[in-house]
Amino acid sequence: MTRKVLALGMVVAGFALQAVAYLFLATPIGKPTDVSFSNPRVPFAPVLFILGVVLVFLAALVYELLPDRRASRSGNEEG
Amino acid sequence: MAQRATRLPYGVGSISARWIVSAVLLAVVAIAGWYGWSREISQGMIVTGLRNIGPMGGATWGIDVVFVVYFVGVSFAGITVAALIRLAKLTALKPIARMAEALTVVSLVLAAFAIMYDLGQPLRGIVNLFRYARPQSPFFGTFTLVISGYLIASLVYLYLDGRRDAAECAKAPGRLQWFHRLWAAGYRDTPAERERHDRASFWLAIAIVPLLITAHSTLGFVFGLQVGRPGWYSALQAPAFVLLAGVSGLGMLIVIAAVVRRTVTDRSHLPDEVFRWLGNALMILLLAYLYFMVVELLTNIYTGAERERDVTGQLISGDFAWIYWSSVAAFVVSLGLLIVRFVRKSAAVGLLVTAGVLVNLAAIGKRYLTVIPSQTHGTLLPYETGSYAPTWVEYIEVIGLFAFGALLLTLFAKLFPIMPVKDGDAA
Amino acid sequence: MARYGMVIDLDRCTGCRGCMESCKIENNTPQGSYWMYVFRFEEGEFPATQVRFMPRPCMHCDNAPCVKVCPVGARYKRDDGLVATDWERCIGCRYCEVACPYGVNTFNWGHPEEHYYFDWNAEGVAPEARGAVPPWDNPSLDEAYGPEERHIAGAGQAKGVVDKCTFCVQLVENDSDPACVHNCPVRALVFGDLDDPGSAPSRLLQQKPSFRLLEEAGTEPRVHYVGGNPPTTETRQIEAATAEV
Repeated sequence: MTRKVLALGMVVAGFALQAVAYLFLATPIGKPTDVSFSNPRVPFAPVLFILGVVLVFLAALVYELLPDRRASRSGNEEG
Repeated sequence: MAQRATRLPYGVGSISARWIVSAVLLAVVAIAGWYGWSREISQGMIVTGLRNIGPMGGATWGIDVVFVVYFVGVSFAGITVAALIRLAKLTALKPIARMAEALTVVSLVLAAFAIMYDLGQPLRGIVNLFRYARPQSPFFGTFTLVISGYLIASLVYLYLDGRRDAAECAKAPGRLQWFHRLWAAGYRDTPAERERHDRASFWLAIAIVPLLITAHSTLGFVFGLQVGRPGWYSALQAPAFVLLAGVSGLGMLIVIAAVVRRTVTDRSHLPDEVFRWLGNALMILLLAYLYFMVVELLTNIYTGAERERDVTGQLISGDFAWIYWSSVAAFVVSLGLLIVRFVRKSAAVGLLVTAGVLVNLAAIGKRYLTVIPSQTHGTLLPYETGSYAPTWVEYIEVIGLFAFGALLLTLFAKLFPIMPVKDGDAA
Repeated sequence: MARYGMVIDLDRCTGCRGCMESCKIENNTPQGSYWMYVFRFEEGEFPATQVRFMPRPCMHCDNAPCVKVCPVGARYKRDDGLVATDWERCIGCRYCEVACPYGVNTFNWGHPEEHYYFDWNAEGVAPEARGAVPPWDNPSLDEAYGPEERHIAGAGQAKGVVDKCTFCVQLVENDSDPACVHNCPVRALVFGDLDDPGSAPSRLLQQKPSFRLLEEAGTEPRVHYVGGNPPTTETRQIEAATAEV
């Protein structure tokens, strides 16, 4: 898998994770009428959201640092 | 210690007596700040000047919150300048890219500390925010996007942007070589690698800018969405926060650049052109922010609701007038200095630094005026007028944070070149 | 499911502040912290001044801004209409306090046990109080309440958390009235199920015109007032309760 695909995949996965965590896993949004508006649907959902943000930005790191398949020719080293 | 063949640039790795003295002084002040916090932790927030809104007639959010907003604001400009250099191809500004990125990271760290200082249960805060943070609360954005997301993004940007210089520094043997090698992570200065870095940084910059705007807007929403606080409830809060963030951040960047030029480099490496650009950008943002201030003032005094007029009256001619008018004066004087410099087409670094300091003081004043008057003088039910005066604990916490930030920056400059060593672009 | 609310009859209130005192005793609020507060208002210019009184508990709003802004869900709305504060989850950010238009929240600034008006450790106090020191520690305040089993009763349960009027959840869940309602000498406070047209507060609302405080703020408070008028911008408070800590 090339770095490009991996990096792009991380960006998409990151945004998807953010959207899912925000809309479906974290505490419901709306006029509070009962206890369910105070608890996340999945425990530690905010951590998942942050992971999504981190994933998007780590994609840049992956894109720059991961060696090419054609490493032997251009002589790039792994970090 | 034997003489090394190659000395690291910009004072990296070479420690003078003068540097040690200033570092120790900064550390002492930073520790004093944490001592103040320790009093807060052991005795409770009663050691501050904060008190309950309502019958107790106090302000429950004080200068700790003011400086959370201030430090997040300052962090805005750093990474924006770095991103703009990349996106708008402002190659002339490359010399300040790294100090801008470092300013953002340090400023966010200071903001995180200031938030901790303000929590009644800070340890619980860390655990419970990760566990339960609710998206509906504007604090969710502050916690996840600003402190977590934005900080990580800036660190990644700083790291990737520094690899080339790290590889350059790693060529010189010395105590820091292992650190530079680690940072460089096998960077080889080939055209292919440079192109790869260009592309990654470009997209990273594009991703960071919307994150910034969102993050600062949620901070503005913390205040702007509160119907119960006259003076806060306004659609202008979010954009005004973004603008003032730009103003104070650019001002701080100018001051840091001037300090760097004085201490570790010179005119040839950090030319006047950089300062001229920063000055122009600050001038434009300041004009835009003053426009916001005028609009806000006119709206509130024309025929505002009773409570809004009360709060505004306190700003113009009441208990807070001295802060309001000094901030306005500081903004106007800075604008004057910037215009003079613009018209004369000079860099006038001295004028710029003065303007930079003044706008930051005014920004602190403005942030204070946003947070406090709406609590002490803005109750919707007819409680007595309140008052708030910070205690030594709050002052020392804030001063300690500034010292800590300066210490972090000066330490960073000793470990890694604060200015670019080699131009890293493919073009 | 009952949806509790309160109706306050301003025609009856004499401003004695007995409700403030009962609330303090029942819920153990520390010094300077008034969950129930009674305004003593003055209006008009001498010699045409008028004095009136207005109790102000927490409004337990249906669209509570404090619930919306709580970053960790410590402040939440219960099915029975009460707005409760989980003192085990609260991180003390005080956002609920700045968001509340009514100013009903109190924060525990110091160690609560050090702020109960009186040095309970002083010599000679213990025998006089016959063992009821520190201030009588009502054990029912430490229990978990509601089907959600959260710790929401009592004031000063921890340093650095916010609390406010709970409609005496520890009493209400045991089919009793809140302490302020219970102890009002003129029965100015009426508590019950607002959804039930036959309950005492509902009947009172049917008999007299009513208003709610700061309705334009959109908070949908569950405390109604009958027999009087809301404070205006000309209303000024006199005899404010001393609230220092």
